[in-house]
Amino acid sequence: MNEVALQVKSLTKEFGSLTAVDNLSLEVYRGEIFGFLGPNGAGKTTSIRMMCGLLEPDSGEVIFQGGKLVGICPQETILWEKLTCLEQLEFIGEMYNLPAKLARQRGDELLSILGLEEKRHNLASTLSGGMKRRLNLALALIHDPEILVLDEPEAGLDPQSRLLVREYIRSLAQKKTIILTTHNMDEAERMADRVAIIDHGKLLVTDTPEALKRTIGEGDVLEIEILSIPVEQALAIIQPDFPDIQVEGNNYFIRAGGIMEKMSSLFDAIKKAGGEIGEVHLRANTLEDVFISLTGRRLRQ
Amino acid sequence: MRIWSVIRKCAREQKRDLWVLGLSLVFAPLFVFIYWLFTGGNATTSYAALVINHDEAARFSDGVMHNAGEDVILAMQELTFKDGSPILRVSSISDRDLGETALRDRDATLLVIIPPSFSQTLANAQSGAAEPTTQVEFIGDLTNPYYTVAAVMAMTALDGYAVDATGEYRAVSLLETALGDSAARTEFEMYIPGLLVLAVIMMLFQAAMLVARDIESGSLQRLKITRLTAFEYLSGTTAWLALIAIAEVLLTFAVAVAFGFRSHGALWVAILVGVITSLSIIGVGMIVASLSKTVSQAFVIANFPFGFFMFLSGAAFPIPMNRLFTIAERDIKIIDVLPPTHAVAALNKVFTLEVGLSGVLYELTALSVLSVIYFSVGVWLFRKRHLN
Repeated sequence: MNEVALQVKSLTKEFGSLTAVDNLSLEVYRGEIFGFLGPNGAGKTTSIRMMCGLLEPDSGEVIFQGGKLVGICPQETILWEKLTCLEQLEFIGEMYNLPAKLARQRGDELLSILGLEEKRHNLASTLSGGMKRRLNLALALIHDPEILVLDEPEAGLDPQSRLLVREYIRSLAQKKTIILTTHNMDEAERMADRVAIIDHGKLLVTDTPEALKRTIGEGDVLEIEILSIPVEQALAIIQPDFPDIQVEGNNYFIRAGGIMEKMSSLFDAIKKAGGEIGEVHLRANTLEDVFISLTGRRLRQ
Repeated sequence: MRIWSVIRKCAREQKRDLWVLGLSLVFAPLFVFIYWLFTGGNATTSYAALVINHDEAARFSDGVMHNAGEDVILAMQELTFKDGSPILRVSSISDRDLGETALRDRDATLLVIIPPSFSQTLANAQSGAAEPTTQVEFIGDLTNPYYTVAAVMAMTALDGYAVDATGEYRAVSLLETALGDSAARTEFEMYIPGLLVLAVIMMLFQAAMLVARDIESGSLQRLKITRLTAFEYLSGTTAWLALIAIAEVLLTFAVAVAFGFRSHGALWVAILVGVITSLSIIGVGMIVASLSKTVSQAFVIANFPFGFFMFLSGAAFPIPMNRLFTIAERDIKIIDVLPPTHAVAALNKVFTLEVGLSGVLYELTALSVLSVIYFSVGVWLFRKRHLN
């Protein structure tokens, strides 16, 4: 049975007339990576700020089972520009009541793991954006927290840093409970054991990525751009064989099993009716599809 | 432990901001140096007096013709401070309009017009005739604070000469006793307490902006998660700023002494006053920081207490205030909530009036109480607004 590390009960936060988080309840299990997926402004950051005690909720409660040692890596890089990498790790370590020697030792270790060992005596102001993000993460880990909260951990990272950070977070997951927020479905899908999809402050659904994808049907998704014929005519051609279809402008999202075998005859039928085929993408179901099926909108809209 | 870590963090950050640290440290010493240059080092205040002498010579009882007006001018020129420097810089002119223009432009402080009958009237009085009297005219801008001093000094010279010349019996003689070393203070020395207090007041900006930098950058949010308390954070920051203030006060004294400043009381008492004053000013800086979200906001807000400290504390000029209440036979006024009020009073006592620690105990106590109050309010506000 999964052991609960963090329990959130009916958390609500309003800013004036805007309800940023609306009666949010969920459980995070010990040792899992729990992803908060939602578009910008969905209430993800507000939710985790309340979970970490940085923001007082209007109502509801957050219950930490067992330890309450939390590390948070905010979306913005929050650093002391005039301190070196090691100095700020030492400083924050000491703020968590670590002995100076241990803080320094752990700081050295983290810098090494995150590929910043050569920058240990460099001022934060001299680091590149990706390095700053990595240092930002190190600051959240200096006191070896039981629960690690990562707000958009891959935002602003260069591909090399992204890979490094992703691998490191995965390695941490074996020892810690990790909560991450993201508006990036790939990131959530790759990283999270379970995903909570949130929109307009409301929790829509919580489950594993695979289970969530299963809820919207089996098979692949064919994204096809059809030009020169009206939507009604295009639908008349497609729908008899592919009833699960969504339309956005000239783009048609067709979900079906074994779609590869039927693609050729579909394209022929469209061309025969005078249609032109623009861009074509074939992919597996994603969390984005889940989000679309739940809200009727894309994550980035 | 955590307070010490905050001090070390502040020190490290400041180490990389040597320009700001340097400016903070040299601000007051530089002003001392500039003021020394302006005042000519040891010079005392000398008041420019213009004299129009219409006097016509008359024969006195010794049978010699005298122009008493010229003697009065000489008597005015001979008035000196304890160090021998002249009190009045006397110049003779012939045109009243020119003299009044000089007064309006503050090129001169006083215009004295001696009438044609001056010598004759004195000669008559010498021979026993009481009538008629003659009238010497004093002209000046009464809103100019220097006028009163110059006029009193010129009257003293004139009156002394007239009494001596006529041999009148003087029933009352006046004895002036200068408190402490007040008769021998140079203009440069008189302004040192004010400059020192100004240097300490300037800590207000540094204190407020140092804390506001952490608020603006968001790093305070990170500290919030560590459960660092407002008291710990502000104590560490205050301790670091106090170290800078001590260095600044010592440096200012060192420069002042090097340029001839003399303290007649114990210098360490003055330094103690400076340090405790800086703590109270830093306390106000913490309140300002608590009310700010950005460094520029802190700067703007800090101008308000700065204005009060500079112009309403009595540090720059006397402020007439009614007492609010009395404690231990001391009248408490509204301006007593401003630390510079006590700092200037204490420093003047130490420097000029030769008092020791016991003589400034009241001011030190007031400064200490204000420091505690301002710091506590700062902590309370900071906890409420930033580190809750």
